Amino acid sequence: MSVAAGVEYYVLLSMGLFCIGLFGILTRRNALMFLMSVELMLNAANINLIAFAFYHGNLTGQVFALFTMALAAAEVAVGLGIILVLYRNFRDVDVTVPTTMRW
Amino acid sequence: MAVFDLPGWTGLAPALILAATALALFVVDSISPRSANRALLAGVSATGALASLAVAVWFIAAGVGQGGIDGLGVIDLFDGQFVVDAMALYFMIVVAVVTALVSVASYDYMADHTYQAEYYSLLILAATGMSTMAAANSLVTIFIALELTSLPSYALVAILKDNRGSVEAGLKYFLIGALSSAIFVYGVSLVYGATGHLQLDAIAVALEEDVADGFGGLLGLGILMLIGGFAFKTASVPFHFWAPEAYEGAPAPISAFLSSASKAAGFVIAFRVFTTAFPLEVTGELIGLDWTLAFVILAIVTMTVGNFAAATQDKVKRMLAYSSIGHAGYALIGLAGLTVDGGELVMGAAMMHLLVYGFMNTGAFLFVALAEYWGVGRTFEDYNGLANQAPVACFALGIFLFSLAGIPPLGGFWSKYFLFTGAISVGTTSMLLVAAALVVNSALSLYYYSRLVKAVWIEESVVDRDTLAQPTGLYAAIVFAAVMTVVLLPAFGPVSETAIDAAAAVI
Repeated sequence: MSVAAGVEYYVLLSMGLFCIGLFGILTRRNALMFLMSVELMLNAANINLIAFAFYHGNLTGQVFALFTMALAAAEVAVGLGIILVLYRNFRDVDVTVPTTMRW
Repeated sequence: MAVFDLPGWTGLAPALILAATALALFVVDSISPRSANRALLAGVSATGALASLAVAVWFIAAGVGQGGIDGLGVIDLFDGQFVVDAMALYFMIVVAVVTALVSVASYDYMADHTYQAEYYSLLILAATGMSTMAAANSLVTIFIALELTSLPSYALVAILKDNRGSVEAGLKYFLIGALSSAIFVYGVSLVYGATGHLQLDAIAVALEEDVADGFGGLLGLGILMLIGGFAFKTASVPFHFWAPEAYEGAPAPISAFLSSASKAAGFVIAFRVFTTAFPLEVTGELIGLDWTLAFVILAIVTMTVGNFAAATQDKVKRMLAYSSIGHAGYALIGLAGLTVDGGELVMGAAMMHLLVYGFMNTGAFLFVALAEYWGVGRTFEDYNGLANQAPVACFALGIFLFSLAGIPPLGGFWSKYFLFTGAISVGTTSMLLVAAALVVNSALSLYYYSRLVKAVWIEESVVDRDTLAQPTGLYAAIVFAAVMTVVLLPAFGPVSETAIDAAAAVI
């Protein structure tokens, strides 16, 4: 298969995307940016799944990528809800502000 | 036999009953959205959980998942996406028991809350996810069940919307959860890349047929990332730091639910994935490293971190949260002790520990729920002298804590004893180290558990208290959990047999 020859490029791309997402999570303090970074990481996994589905010649990976997208959307919905109550209680969406429980 | 005549999908009945219960709660809510009938809602959830428990017990008793003449064999569903065997049913029982206890206790604890129906339906939906996790046999179904558990749990932790602690806990739980699920999916994609399959048995076959040759690095990285996902769900190092915050801020029954049922569900998928999909020998050859080594390190570090941090806490709930991390370390021994030709003894012991833990830890957190219901405060000093006003509940607390510490003849002692002898019987140096760490940590844990018992029974109260209320639901749940922690022991024979047989079946 012609695509199969290039599968390592897809993996490199997805690893880059994953690392960008991870970097964003570690450095950004805004909860919304955090959500976006998580989305990047999930989509990195999707690229992998689809590239490998081509490589292996079965559809399992593509179907799972669809599931991942649906679940990512659900996760964002819950996350935005939590960020909303966070804003109502702390008047900010900075994840370093809520520290009522640090010992 | 009756079970045999049913269609195959009824094998998932314990999970399906929970799903139906969650939907029934929505129906109740949409019929009368304004008048929150607490008794009805709590009753429906508890009944659903008990029905799920009854069906799971019936399936085990009828011989589902057991081979031989009496056994009905393992039920394989949807091309092996789900598998209902003894281990699945065993963990469905753990989940159902904890859910029932938490529903009953929530009747009093959540009495003043505005969104009653939402609370109970989220609870039951999360329980559905956990029950499904027990039977999931493919990385796809595992991930979906994992998210079905996580999403309602995030909302449940943050459900006290005007309470800063609860919102903060929800945020931290969500952030770490989202991160770990992203890492988990990436791990899944790498394993898929190396083997071309997501169904666990198919992965094992692909590994044995050398499909993954040359992909050792990819596979190893994928496995490491999967471990990250499990570590989050079971609150083990390195994804443990959400646990103290989330358990402390969440409503106490939810802390009980997450630290017992959610942890058990995390362990069942870890057990299943690593025993089914990654056979020790071939995987070891491929990635050049034995994956039990990772669990040996995680087990020792997790139990040590959990217990040492617990010993330094001032707040009771936080102490219990760290102790729950420590217990995740004990249960990890079940995976650390797997060997090429065995290990069912340690894994069975870990399963027993998770069942006993389901009673004793839920009970301890429910006592904290009771204390919060009374409004006595959060630190050890605030608990001083509670035994004068509430001897029954405090006696139960003593049982839970001594059982958690592993004092004979309580449930926690026996499961730890099995873990210890199991680890010794494996006999490798690393497992002897693990066994030593188990003993040292249990001894240390006695210090902080008995500190709470001392506060409650011996110390004099710093404030004058009036007589404390005796909420029926909370009391019933606590007393039942205490009775089970004690009674499980005479009944330990069949329990341990079931657990070890279930473990032997999957290895």
